[in-house]
Amino acid sequence: MNPQAFLGRVRRNATPHAILCVIIVAFLLYVVVVPLAVMIKETFIVHPMERFQIPGAMPGDATLHHWKKTFTGSSAGPFFFKPLMNTLIMSISMSILALLIGGVLAWLVVRTDLPCKKFISNLAIVPYIMPSWTMSLAWITLFKNPRIGGSVGLFQYLTGITLPDWFSYGMFPIVITLAVHYFPFGFMLISSALEDIDSQLEESAELLGAGRGLTLRKIVFPLVMPAILSTFLLTFSRGFGTFGTPSFLGGPVRLYVLSTLLHANLVGQRPGMAYLVALVMILMGSLILYMDTKLLGARKSYVTISGKGGKRGLVSLGKAKWPATVLVMTFLVCVTFVPFGVLAIESLTLIPGDYSLSNLTLHYWIGPASTSIGLRTGEAGILRNTEILRALGNSLKVAVLTALLCGVLGMLIGYTVARMRGTRFAGVLDQLSFMPYLMPSIAFGSAFLALFSVPRGPIPSLYGTLALLVLACTVKYLPYSSRAGISAMMQIGPELEEAATMAGASWFKRISSIIFPLQKSSFFSGLLLPFISAMRELSLVVLLVTPGTQLATSITLKFTDRGWYPYTNAVMILIVFAVLVTTWISRKLMGTDLAKGIGG
Amino acid sequence: MKRTVRLSMSILVVMTLLMLLSLVGSAQTAEDWNEIVKAASKEGKVVVYSTTSRIMAAAEAFQQKTGIKVEAHRLSETELIERVYQEARAGIKSVDLVLIEDFPSMKELLVTPGYLVNYIPPSAREAVPESMHNPLVFAHVSRVIGYNSEKYETAPFESIWDLTTPQWKGKVMIRDLALTGEHQNAFTELIRRSDELAADYEKRFGKKLELREENAGLEFLRRLSENDIIIMTSDTRIAEAVGKKGQEDPPVGFFYVYSKHRDAEAKNLAIEAAVDLKPFAGYYYDIYLQLFSNPPNPNAAKLFADYLMSPEGFVPWSSDIGIYASNTATEHHPQDMPWEWWESRLWTYDPDFAIQNRGIVLDAWIRSVSK
Repeated sequence: MNPQAFLGRVRRNATPHAILCVIIVAFLLYVVVVPLAVMIKETFIVHPMERFQIPGAMPGDATLHHWKKTFTGSSAGPFFFKPLMNTLIMSISMSILALLIGGVLAWLVVRTDLPCKKFISNLAIVPYIMPSWTMSLAWITLFKNPRIGGSVGLFQYLTGITLPDWFSYGMFPIVITLAVHYFPFGFMLISSALEDIDSQLEESAELLGAGRGLTLRKIVFPLVMPAILSTFLLTFSRGFGTFGTPSFLGGPVRLYVLSTLLHANLVGQRPGMAYLVALVMILMGSLILYMDTKLLGARKSYVTISGKGGKRGLVSLGKAKWPATVLVMTFLVCVTFVPFGVLAIESLTLIPGDYSLSNLTLHYWIGPASTSIGLRTGEAGILRNTEILRALGNSLKVAVLTALLCGVLGMLIGYTVARMRGTRFAGVLDQLSFMPYLMPSIAFGSAFLALFSVPRGPIPSLYGTLALLVLACTVKYLPYSSRAGISAMMQIGPELEEAATMAGASWFKRISSIIFPLQKSSFFSGLLLPFISAMRELSLVVLLVTPGTQLATSITLKFTDRGWYPYTNAVMILIVFAVLVTTWISRKLMGTDLAKGIGG
Repeated sequence: MKRTVRLSMSILVVMTLLMLLSLVGSAQTAEDWNEIVKAASKEGKVVVYSTTSRIMAAAEAFQQKTGIKVEAHRLSETELIERVYQEARAGIKSVDLVLIEDFPSMKELLVTPGYLVNYIPPSAREAVPESMHNPLVFAHVSRVIGYNSEKYETAPFESIWDLTTPQWKGKVMIRDLALTGEHQNAFTELIRRSDELAADYEKRFGKKLELREENAGLEFLRRLSENDIIIMTSDTRIAEAVGKKGQEDPPVGFFYVYSKHRDAEAKNLAIEAAVDLKPFAGYYYDIYLQLFSNPPNPNAAKLFADYLMSPEGFVPWSSDIGIYASNTATEHHPQDMPWEWWESRLWTYDPDFAIQNRGIVLDAWIRSVSK
């Protein structure tokens, strides 16, 4: 091809959209593939602290040591297979439980005459909004037995029964608390799938004489099966990467999973083995992603085809109605108000562990800086502590900007993938934008420090700026909004845009007057998860913050470190509160729906 | 012959010249403190990374005294090393000095490649014993083995081997070794001094120690963890669990920082360290002061280093027990024992041996706890 023809071709194809695509792909390649490549390379290299276990090796030498040690010989058990087994057991049982809870709740809310539906659906999302370790903290406070010393748990205090270790620590509570944290996924996804079922199908079955059980089995289940599978995979992939809960509840009985092993290897200055574990986790995630697209490829088109049926008759619960209501309510209160209450109480006790009324105080909220009251910290209560308030402001800024950027990028990616559906380019873009989801936050943060802290080409050094935090969070949470964007854009037929093109509308005009208005609620929904996640992020940003750019989460390190938990808990309450208020306002103002935000 | 003479003569000349040159060189590098002070206030700012949060108070006091702004970052030991490592590799000039711990990691990752340099400020030259000059020790931190003093009037065990017996099964708490570099270092010392450890076992139980591991140090680690050890996430939680009053059967805290005892009164805890335990009552590790090799504010860094190493600069730390200045002029906390007292009871670790054997400790730990 001669240069002129080539240029001509470029000019013809250089629509704003194509240019944007190229920029987005180049950007993603840079921020996703480079860290990934670095991680792979690290698994073949001797690091300074590793050299003593590899005879004759110098730092920087090539080696297969990490691979051998992780996968072969007697070390493979403790260093890989046992933690892997634990991880699988944990993630699978937790996903099943979350699915059961979420599914039953969704069925009750959508298909039966259960009262207080609105209240229930609002409350059912709250556990996901709270940081997952809140649950484990609540679990310990309630159910701890004398094994880890200190004051007894509330349960033992009230009943006098000493709980066995397996109940208080280890796999059992990890599975329960994680399931409680993640069931909102199942609830939201299965609710929307149930809502989409044409009730005429069920009515026809009934007319033909099918019983309720048969209808459920032959009609409802097959129809919501994709949503169920999708929920399972989503929950599973969230679960195996969690670090806080298994480390907190597993430690007392010495339970290691992949994420805690990864952390141990990183902290133990063994990046080779750490990144190997990370790669296995990324691989597992990719496998799940692959299964998701293969198994459920048909789902999205199905949802668009099915029109909503007429008014559907609700299943009457009959006598079970009130017991069911009480049960659901009790459960929801237990998983929302109780953990939140535990946090609140811990922030209101002057001396930790003493729950008597006389020990209640607002000192850690509004008290003056004092070295004689309570823990004698010399720190002002958080509501009058300028440092903490500034950090909270920073958190809000970063979270809002991250959400907006994620939203825009997510929609553009969704638009591109939808328009180029079926091409290899769309597939690559889809998967590329999902990769950050699978990368461990700690490794990702360190890669970002290396990538963006010095000027590279046109990009100035971002070190010490909020922009760096926004960038890191944006890339990390892009998967949420790109999933949401893709599923939203898939629902818009190309005819609308084609008609506009025929009428001479420019690309920007088409986006702003057709696509955006149609997907406004999806767009704002796609902002929610990045916002929530950025608000409570710690491990991703801890290497990137500076005193001027402290975030609410990173500033609590100072307190946690010295055992001043009332401050940490109070800040956490503020964060959860800010997130709840934002979610509620955006729901009122923009009709956002968290379910759409996770690609439902 | 003539040739040899000429050769030796020329060698002599060259040597003399070199010596002269080095003399001139050292005269040039010998610092003029007044110049540094002047240049420091011109720089007006200094950036410090530290593993102890008390740096914030010291920063504020220094700022008030000199008008030089201090930007202080509190990071965990691993985060601090990772951050300096990444910044140095990327060529970022952002930090001036660090208060850093975990000698093996510091040496291998930051000192050997030349990212950190040792610097002895005037306040440390005389007052800090020369054995602590390279790298310059800022302070010692003690980690002890403690029990509930409400339940037990005196320590209920006399040897560390007692903690591996059925009596203490499921009762010993420790921070996860895998996440605590200093614990790994300390356990290398148990390997290095295996003979003493084995001798203590014999003395305590009157029989020879049977080994399933290579040495008594690893054997102890294995028996301790197989005795249903409880892994906790922080020293604070350990101290609270051990010291909480009104417990029937309280646990024992293994290797938690002694400074947690400072909150005993405020938190209403009954906790005491087993200071006469054999063969050691715990271990100590050092916090080092190092300058960044390419600091943005080299003079302010030196001035702040000088301040931190002086008794005045140590005030935020000396108001606590469990941390001891290397500066001999610094008074120890009135409720604490002097450093010499502690030093005789605690083990520490041999830096080179620790570097080489740390991996073995971590391996052994993960093997015995991962089940």
